[in-house]
Amino acid sequence: MLNFLQNLLRFPKTLLAVTLLISAIFFFVMKENTRMETDLDDYMPQEHPAFVYSNQAEERFHIQDGVIIAIENKDGIYNSGTLQKVKDLTKELQKMDEIDKDDVTSLYTADNIIGTETGLDVKPFYKRVPESKEKLEALRKSVRDNEMIYERLVNNNETVTVVIAEIKDDVFSQEFYHRLLDLAKTYEGPEKLYVAGRPIVEGTMAYLGPRDMQRMVPIVIAVIVIVLLMVQRSIKAGIFTLLVVLFSVVWTFGLMAAVNIPIYAVSTMIPVMLIAIGVADGIHLYSHLHIFMRENPQADKRTAAFDMLREMWKPVVMTSVTTAVGFISLLTSEVYPIKYFGLFTAFGVMAAMVFSLLLIPAGTLVFGPPRWKIKNKSGEQHENSFLNAIASLVVRHKYITLFATIIIVAFSIWGTTKVWINSSFLDKFEADSDIVITDTFINENFGGTSTLNVILDSEQEDAFKQPQILEAIDRLQTKVDRSLQVVGNSFSLTDYLKRMNKVMHADSAKYNVIPGTKDLVAQYLLLYEISGDPENLWKVVDYHYQKANLTFQLKSDNSIALNSAIAKIEETLPELQTLGVNVNYAGSGYKGLVFTDLILEGQIKSLALSLLIVVILLSLMFKNVSAGLIGAVPITITAAISFGIMGLLNIPLSTTTALLSSIAIGIGIDYAVHFIERYKIYAAETNDKRLTGGMTMQHSGRAIAFNAIVVIAGFLVLLASVFPPNRALGALVSMNMFTSFTGTVTIMYLLLVSSNIYFKKNK
Amino acid sequence: MKLHIIISSILLTLFVLSFSSFAQKPLSGLEVIQNVYNRPEGKDQDGTLTMTLINSRGDQRVREIKQFIKDFGTEEKKIMFFISPADVRNTSFMNWSYDAEGRDDDQWIYLPALKKVKRISSDSKSDYFMGSDFTYDDLGDRHPSDDTHKLLGEETFNGEACYVVESIPKEEDYMYSRTITWIIKDKWIGLKKEFYDENDELLKILTVEKYGKINDYWIITHSKMHNVQKEHTTDMLLENLTIDAGMSDDKFTERMMKRGI
Repeated sequence: MLNFLQNLLRFPKTLLAVTLLISAIFFFVMKENTRMETDLDDYMPQEHPAFVYSNQAEERFHIQDGVIIAIENKDGIYNSGTLQKVKDLTKELQKMDEIDKDDVTSLYTADNIIGTETGLDVKPFYKRVPESKEKLEALRKSVRDNEMIYERLVNNNETVTVVIAEIKDDVFSQEFYHRLLDLAKTYEGPEKLYVAGRPIVEGTMAYLGPRDMQRMVPIVIAVIVIVLLMVQRSIKAGIFTLLVVLFSVVWTFGLMAAVNIPIYAVSTMIPVMLIAIGVADGIHLYSHLHIFMRENPQADKRTAAFDMLREMWKPVVMTSVTTAVGFISLLTSEVYPIKYFGLFTAFGVMAAMVFSLLLIPAGTLVFGPPRWKIKNKSGEQHENSFLNAIASLVVRHKYITLFATIIIVAFSIWGTTKVWINSSFLDKFEADSDIVITDTFINENFGGTSTLNVILDSEQEDAFKQPQILEAIDRLQTKVDRSLQVVGNSFSLTDYLKRMNKVMHADSAKYNVIPGTKDLVAQYLLLYEISGDPENLWKVVDYHYQKANLTFQLKSDNSIALNSAIAKIEETLPELQTLGVNVNYAGSGYKGLVFTDLILEGQIKSLALSLLIVVILLSLMFKNVSAGLIGAVPITITAAISFGIMGLLNIPLSTTTALLSSIAIGIGIDYAVHFIERYKIYAAETNDKRLTGGMTMQHSGRAIAFNAIVVIAGFLVLLASVFPPNRALGALVSMNMFTSFTGTVTIMYLLLVSSNIYFKKNK
Repeated sequence: MKLHIIISSILLTLFVLSFSSFAQKPLSGLEVIQNVYNRPEGKDQDGTLTMTLINSRGDQRVREIKQFIKDFGTEEKKIMFFISPADVRNTSFMNWSYDAEGRDDDQWIYLPALKKVKRISSDSKSDYFMGSDFTYDDLGDRHPSDDTHKLLGEETFNGEACYVVESIPKEEDYMYSRTITWIIKDKWIGLKKEFYDENDELLKILTVEKYGKINDYWIITHSKMHNVQKEHTTDMLLENLTIDAGMSDDKFTERMMKRGI
């Protein structure tokens, strides 16, 4: 390996030129072929039973996410002006390409099932906008009397009405969203319009997150450059360290584009990982070079470069290979974007390794080593004495260190138990953002902006014409509606039947119940088909009355809300099951919940797996099981504290924050390996524990500290982000860097010293 | 020779003559459609209607209906009794439609489980009939004067020489922007009809699967309506047809609705 590298380095200029050329090609490929994947359905493992079931149900019952446009008139909506706007807006939405004509629900399109003197009538609430006082009053009354409409399309103090437009699959775009906003704006005054709904939230998030990243990343890089220059005290070193990172990012994304894999939201984490991990190699290499130059001021650039390579290639390869293997363990995930994330980050890490081992020596050969001002000793003395102080403190108070570590880890594990997963999209926005304000407004006035579809299944044909079963469903609806604050309302076949039964009995409230016999149910349904729009019926039940769709409207899309509703529903499971009815769930909210669970499960699995792999690899590399175990300590501590803090600070796990545990692996390994490797070398050289400790701190410890400072400084920039998940990301990455560093120079160092592994011969 | 035979002979001769003179110049679209509209189908008719509804996934619902129809001159009365599915057996539906312009149909339904006859109001001719893909208009109620017709040409369709007529509704907001009908020249039967929606996209295709001569009348006995946008199909099959059997006028009352088949 070393020989191979040295052979390549005989042509440093060619090497630099070739790398630059390939990078340029990759950059071009990346620019031309990269595509973003924002459709969240594409993230989910389509073959997973929960998704298969949900997708089937969505197709069967035409379940689509709706955009909700609320029209508020503080003086009440029952005036011809506002009603005209409802009508016009409905019609304009129906004409949009992204919306099916039949999928717009408003007071203008809704069916009003009413009883007349002689019979039953299903008709619109209005066609021509009512003008006279009497007609407006009649409309108000007919809405109030219809429990299928009141508080669903009009709020209870009659100042807000909603127009709901279900959006076709895969058509939501920012352009469409802005068209909707512009459209809504034209209807303002005196009415106020609000645009909300899951497609809006999802679409905006998919757009805002990456856009915010695009804005923040240059600043992050700039800060990293500045801090790199400050700690490395050399422009050359800074540039080459950074080039390693940049090239590895370009190659990774170039490769993704070349093999036609789109960029998913989690892919934006790849550069984050590569920056955090990639700078390490450069820092360690230059740190070594710096020490070498200080000790051998007369050495020529060739000697310096080759000494650096000879001394450092092993830890660089070891750290990179273990880190890459750690990321490859993400292939066990069921979620494709995460598999890709693991695979390509691993590639990026390996690329960074190659660049570190080739570009940095080549750069040194071509441009000469960085010209450090060797005289500037006081500063270094300062740093070193700080690290040495830590080292001696730790060793002197080893029980305190041990005890403190145990306490911190135990506390973290306790915190870990409090970690909750949040599949909410809305929670990712600022509390005072338009999206949240609009959503809150609609939730206050109506059932809710989020939905949970409960799919009821029976083996038996016509099951959902059986009064017994229908009554059980009705009880379920009432129970969940009433007992949970977060559930706004529910809708199913029972609502049609109760309404029909009531109006067929002269609007008597006594008959607002499920009809008593199966024949009557069937005949009402036939009557509805004859007089109404049967299309609506197929949104709640299938042709054979074997499957039914019960929709709950929720005032929050977060996992707690969904889980509480599901838990309540599950309570009625035994009763439904004795009636031969099975319960499943569907809809985008539910899929999001399952999806987040999958990510977390995969993440924990891969974390455990990679920890095991790391221990084995390190044991093999250091030819010592104790070293392997000690090397795993920083990773374990970092991961435990990372999850623990999230639990304690009530930061929910989400797709991005869950992936952060991967950083623990990447960084933890780097620190541990470099440190142990150096410790081993110095131990062999000096045979003196104290001296070894001090020298290791000066060499690896210093590099580790630099690495941590650089990345922490860079990622702290994200705290200024406007997108809360990106802020959490910045804070957590910084924290992980800090705990990795602290864990390495304290507890791991202590264990290393106490274990005596590299001093056995002495004893 | 009795007088009325003489008169009818003269009339027949005149009719034949006038027809042959008409044949000189091509018919207009309107005339073709009028001929279809006026094609005699007898004074009364009873039979079994099997209506099969098929959705996009291929799920089927089958309804068997015994129906009676009688032409009263300016109005047509129809009564339908459901035979199956069993849970709606003996549910009956009565419809009176009127030639008079602007007058809505009268409709009643009898639900045996409720033992009540109820009026239901039909809002529009463009409502779908019992959840099928046919609107009331599609079932043959639409008057030729409601559209402007244009003869597009002549074509052979399914081995029959056909007129192809395009009809554009006069009403502005009508559910179809236009329809195109293939009409068998000598029988005045529409063999196929395409319906275009408001955006002028193909919405539905009606195809006649079977027709035949019953009591000297050309009667369509099997047709299919396929909604290409919703992937939904309705199959209508008429069997056991009896025509001009001299149906009693009081077949079409609420009392009869309650009595069942």
